[in-house]
Amino acid sequence: MIKLETAHIEEVRGIRKLDIDFRKEKFAISGPNGSGKSGVIDAIEFGLTGQIGRLTGRGTKGLSVSEHGPHVDKTKFPDAAFVELQVFLTELGKSVTITRKVSSPKKPKIEPPDDDVKAALAEIADHPEITLSRREILRFILVEPTKRSEEIQTILKLDEIGQTRSAFNTAQNKLQSAHKNATAQVQSGRHAVELHLQITTLRAEDLLEGVNKRRKLLGLPEIAELTADAKLDSGLSAAAKTPDFNKQSALRDLKALSDAAKGFPDLAKTEAAAIVSDLAKLEGDPALLAALQRRSFIEKGLDLVDGPECPLCDTPWKDEQHLRDHLKAKLAKSEEARKLQQALLNNGTALAQEAIRVVGLLGLVQKVAEGQGEGGVAQPLTGWKTDLEELKAKLTTVEGLTGLKDRLTGGWLEMPKALPKSLNGLTDKVNAKADQTDTLDAQTFLTTAQVRLGDYREAMRKNKAAEVASASAKAAYEIYCSVLEDELNTLYDEVQEDFSTFYRAINEEDEAKFTAKLTPSEGKLELDVNFYERGLFPPSAYHSEGHQDGMGVCLYLALMKRLFGDRFTFALLDDVVMSVDAGHRYQFCKLLKTHFPDTQFIITTHDRLWAEQMKSAGLVTAKTSIAFHSWTIDTGPLVESNQEIWDEIAAALGKGKVETAAGALRHHLEYVSRHLADQLGATPQFRADGNYELGELLPSVLKRMKDLCGKAADVAQSWGKDADKEAAGKRKALLSTSNAAMSVEQWAVNKAVHYNEWANFGKKDFEPVVAAFKELLGCFSCETCESWVYVTARGSPESLRCACNAISLNLKPKPK
Amino acid sequence: MATLQQQIADKFLTKLAESKDVDAERIDQLRSLLADSKKLKAEDLVKVFSLPAGGDIK
Repeated sequence: MIKLETAHIEEVRGIRKLDIDFRKEKFAISGPNGSGKSGVIDAIEFGLTGQIGRLTGRGTKGLSVSEHGPHVDKTKFPDAAFVELQVFLTELGKSVTITRKVSSPKKPKIEPPDDDVKAALAEIADHPEITLSRREILRFILVEPTKRSEEIQTILKLDEIGQTRSAFNTAQNKLQSAHKNATAQVQSGRHAVELHLQITTLRAEDLLEGVNKRRKLLGLPEIAELTADAKLDSGLSAAAKTPDFNKQSALRDLKALSDAAKGFPDLAKTEAAAIVSDLAKLEGDPALLAALQRRSFIEKGLDLVDGPECPLCDTPWKDEQHLRDHLKAKLAKSEEARKLQQALLNNGTALAQEAIRVVGLLGLVQKVAEGQGEGGVAQPLTGWKTDLEELKAKLTTVEGLTGLKDRLTGGWLEMPKALPKSLNGLTDKVNAKADQTDTLDAQTFLTTAQVRLGDYREAMRKNKAAEVASASAKAAYEIYCSVLEDELNTLYDEVQEDFSTFYRAINEEDEAKFTAKLTPSEGKLELDVNFYERGLFPPSAYHSEGHQDGMGVCLYLALMKRLFGDRFTFALLDDVVMSVDAGHRYQFCKLLKTHFPDTQFIITTHDRLWAEQMKSAGLVTAKTSIAFHSWTIDTGPLVESNQEIWDEIAAALGKGKVETAAGALRHHLEYVSRHLADQLGATPQFRADGNYELGELLPSVLKRMKDLCGKAADVAQSWGKDADKEAAGKRKALLSTSNAAMSVEQWAVNKAVHYNEWANFGKKDFEPVVAAFKELLGCFSCETCESWVYVTARGSPESLRCACNAISLNLKPKPK
Repeated sequence: MATLQQQIADKFLTKLAESKDVDAERIDQLRSLLADSKKLKAEDLVKVFSLPAGGDIK
């Protein structure tokens, strides 16, 4: 797998031009909603996979990477939209560069273009699940079991396994059907031999008795044993073998067909009626019929899928897998149709086997008719045979059966009406022939017996082969299913264990004994979770939404661990961490640090506080986090930076863009005020919704800082530390003399900032405002390390300091 | 780490050989099919299982 070193993004989604140094480390990107965080995730995902998950899937109809991947101002110039990623391939130990343009997402430029590098990157491209977004997280938790099963099967790529199982199943069904037909052919062939030999059961002893009787009459040696290569007519001269008409045998064939014909109207009547009934049910339930028709149609389509274009309607899909999943989901919805389909096919197969036996009888009589020059009889028989052969094929498919309702309602065999009369005529003709001499009778008896035995043996050979094929396919299918079930059970046990462990890790205070149970069954995956040791329930039964979100992340992590094992080195978590309860975020950081020490998570959040918590918990550092303070359509995300923000404002003013500069300053002040209020413990008037305005925060921050500096000066005096007293007093004085600080309540915050009237200022009017606030904010940061000052401990501050301790003002007075 | 698909395919072939329900020649063909293609087709399997069996048919 990979780790991301750097990203250069140009004109992709909401980003104009952006470079980020990810350092192969866990990385946090924070910023308010709409500041461009997800654009970075989109760009990285695009760079790695050529896809943007946000533009595909449910609810994204009409969206595409080619049209909506470029920045909105560059939609006509997709060549300008590209991502260049420097990626470290962990297994190869190579650092490589992949450059992908929106105009040609499937043809990235890879440096070095080595085969092993390409293969490694192709593997990543095949795993879009490296990105988990907020909208996807609940798909594991709050979905019905069938959907969850699909989602998890997709992420674990079980669909390919399911496809293999399906192929084995289809193969065994086809071969089972072929075996049934072959068995019917054997029965037909055996009946022909029995008929000729006038025996009821085809046993070698009885057969040889009849054969040897004729052989003896012809002076031929008896056949002692019916071996595989035994020829019943062996010893006959070639000339004697030629005529195969045997009068008595022919009469028996004719009688057999005549007798059988009497039963034709009732042949397989029950099965035919069942088919008609099922077909009527379909006619009366258009939805069922549609489901069944679609089922058959979709099954065919699924079999023909060979790329991202639907073979049924040519609709292009994101990729082949999405198309397959779509078709499979449709199949899963028609269970009732599947049962009906199975019943139809079973009864159809029964009829097909009867048809085979009838065709066997017809073949015997057809030969007699042809031998007697009775074209008038032979021709209809040939036509009927052909008709039954075609019917046999139709009887084994649902489409075929659907068109046979009328035929199946009446006598489905559709025996030619003239047949009985024809048979009688032919019988009369054969009867009228002079009896064959004993010698000729014996000769033709043997030749006919040999022909029929040969046919029977051939049918047996084919049947044996069909039986072996069917048994092999059945055994293979059953073993595949058994192995699959064992492996999936093991997999789900492992996922269940990891999921429970992860969830307990982030909820150790209130759910230390949490357990979960994943129960796979046919096409479903039930998930039940323990609720405060009161038993197992569906996740949505009692747990809060925040807890359910946490479950979603934990299940995702468990699945990824199972999918990649030690190779799980990279994941993009797009605003999903937000879903973890505020009270459990430190534990979540600990989970990622301890259970996934080698995984580079790139985490976005719109919650600034959470971003700071990630730093405090040691999950990320100042160097491995970035904050966007705002976004404009012209600039893309604006990176929060103590130094760079002033450069950006100056650059905007240099171009005369006061509005841009004003927006940047305002957002920066909002961010800094919120951050400092938290770091210093300022006390604005409490708001339950937490939506503090700048006008509420900044004054309270100023007041708090003045108080802290004043206190620090008093404390320093109590300890007799003059230098500290002077430093504290100087910082407080600086605050008091700051132009911005003096003006802040008069105009800057209440009026200009709140109503954003700065945007209407001229450049020269606005420059002093910028300078004033830069000076003011300078009072809150360290000149050496540039970090913001903070108090520690939070509840009862004992010192005011910066990250490098260059600022360190004691707040704990000397005990009296 | 072997993929789940590979794990299942390997165990399947081993168990199939142990079961003696399918002859060695067919198992070899199945091994090739499972290794060669992600998209196993039912028709390909039908061909493999329909291979002429040993000479025990009289």
